[in-house]
Amino acid sequence: MILERMPLIALENEVGAKAKLNSVKGKLDLGFEVDQTTGATRFKIYAQQPPLRIVRAFETAGGGALVHLHNLSGGVLGGDHLELKIAVEPGAQAQLTSTSATRLYRSRNAELTATQLTEAKVGEGGLLEFLAEPLIPFAASRYRQQTKIELAPGAGLFWWEIVAPGREAKGELFEYELFQSHLDITTGGKPLVLERMRLEPQLRPLNSPARLGPYRYFASFYICRVGLTASRWRELENELSEIAQSLTRPGESLWGVSMLPADGLLVRALCLRGREIPPGLLAFWKAAKLALYGQAAILPRKIY
Amino acid sequence: MEPAPDSYVRQLWLLQLADSALPIGTAAHSFGLETLTVEEEVKVEQLQAFLQEYLCESGRLESAFCQAAYRLGTQGRDNPAFEQEWVSLNTRLSAFKPARESRTASATLGRRFIQLVMRLGDWPTLQLAWHAARQADVEMHHCTAFGLVGGVLNLGQEATGLAYLQQLLTGLVSACQRLMPLGQSQASQILWNLKLTVVEVMKQSKTCNYDDEQLSCFTPMVELASMRHPALSTRLFIS
Repeated sequence: MILERMPLIALENEVGAKAKLNSVKGKLDLGFEVDQTTGATRFKIYAQQPPLRIVRAFETAGGGALVHLHNLSGGVLGGDHLELKIAVEPGAQAQLTSTSATRLYRSRNAELTATQLTEAKVGEGGLLEFLAEPLIPFAASRYRQQTKIELAPGAGLFWWEIVAPGREAKGELFEYELFQSHLDITTGGKPLVLERMRLEPQLRPLNSPARLGPYRYFASFYICRVGLTASRWRELENELSEIAQSLTRPGESLWGVSMLPADGLLVRALCLRGREIPPGLLAFWKAAKLALYGQAAILPRKIY
Repeated sequence: MEPAPDSYVRQLWLLQLADSALPIGTAAHSFGLETLTVEEEVKVEQLQAFLQEYLCESGRLESAFCQAAYRLGTQGRDNPAFEQEWVSLNTRLSAFKPARESRTASATLGRRFIQLVMRLGDWPTLQLAWHAARQADVEMHHCTAFGLVGGVLNLGQEATGLAYLQQLLTGLVSACQRLMPLGQSQASQILWNLKLTVVEVMKQSKTCNYDDEQLSCFTPMVELASMRHPALSTRLFIS
């Protein structure tokens, strides 16, 4: 009743202020280093602040450390500010994954854009595998993410990201307000990848053949190892392109592979159905890890 | 001392540099359009809408880099960091272009463009840019080369940005005329209809810097088309 008598702007400010109070600043600062005695990768938590949480690390078959990223609030709420720092020291091998799809919840107003900042540094000869479950931007959600990855000489990276159109089973397709993503992958200060996307499907539909066309899900998989020659990457591009061709069914899914300007490859996919993406990414990961590291790619213990 | 060329001559220079007949090989590239048309993702009836979106995404990115290169070109050797900034500009643009074939096409056209202009006259700033890129083993892209030349020849930032976008659009429409049943009149109509979009894109990208939030590009279908282009059984275009 009291609220009903308040002027509209005051009411909006009130709601905004309360929502701001409810938004959180989550933080994870993680380190991976080689244990000089055993040669295995040791995991360290320098800081963790809810709703982000790590419970434990598991040793992987190759002596690396596998960590599951938890978000205790079940998703990202409007106004949340989340930070993830990952330091993979020289020679260490880190594998990170999320426990389930990341739900990006509706924002109450335009001021409450959720943000995710991720900063990863991979030391000489280190390897970072970031194998996240899809991001699902709910209707009216507003989300910005900024990811910076710095690779030292000899450092390796397998990093994928899958973006869903929304809660598809509910018939919710591209009803989010804002999905913005900035990605920088650099080595020695030189950019290998710069990606800047700002998607506002309510303002500019994504179904143009210049953007997503008839497809709903998109995925990017960056595969890097600093220092390999361009001819080596070209060979791998050819090898992985055969997988891409075998997976591609125009109208249902498109897969493509391309060399980056240096030190890596990008695998990109557009699919009508989300379930086609994980097995496709797995096929590329297996082939690339074997080719670059002579190791089998073993999925993190989870739902696959 | 030779008098500075008047504005009429500058306009003529710009017209020549943006002409599709400029012998740098523009006609050999479709930048992924060939895949999109072969797979019927883009048909004649959707072409104008497609090109409009293309301009708003890739066109805006390239226009931003073109105009940044223009500003660098006007500073020339007065800017002590000229070589470093020229190398950085092109390195960053390469990192924005994930599809190898399109990136290589852009670099090939950029290299030929600068080479051609260096043969047409004596401009030390272009020589400096050329050697800096060669020394750093960095590709020079078409849009940055076009912008740099525009700045060196003092052709006007807005005019240079517009001319770059116009020749980009003309090149794509010309490629479509060879890829789909698109007649001369229809092609001219599309080019005519998109003039306001070209102006808008040039204006939006006028003050962008590389980390600007306005600087965004989301064209996964076009990138995938370029990545998948080498697998087409018959190809008319290099990219």
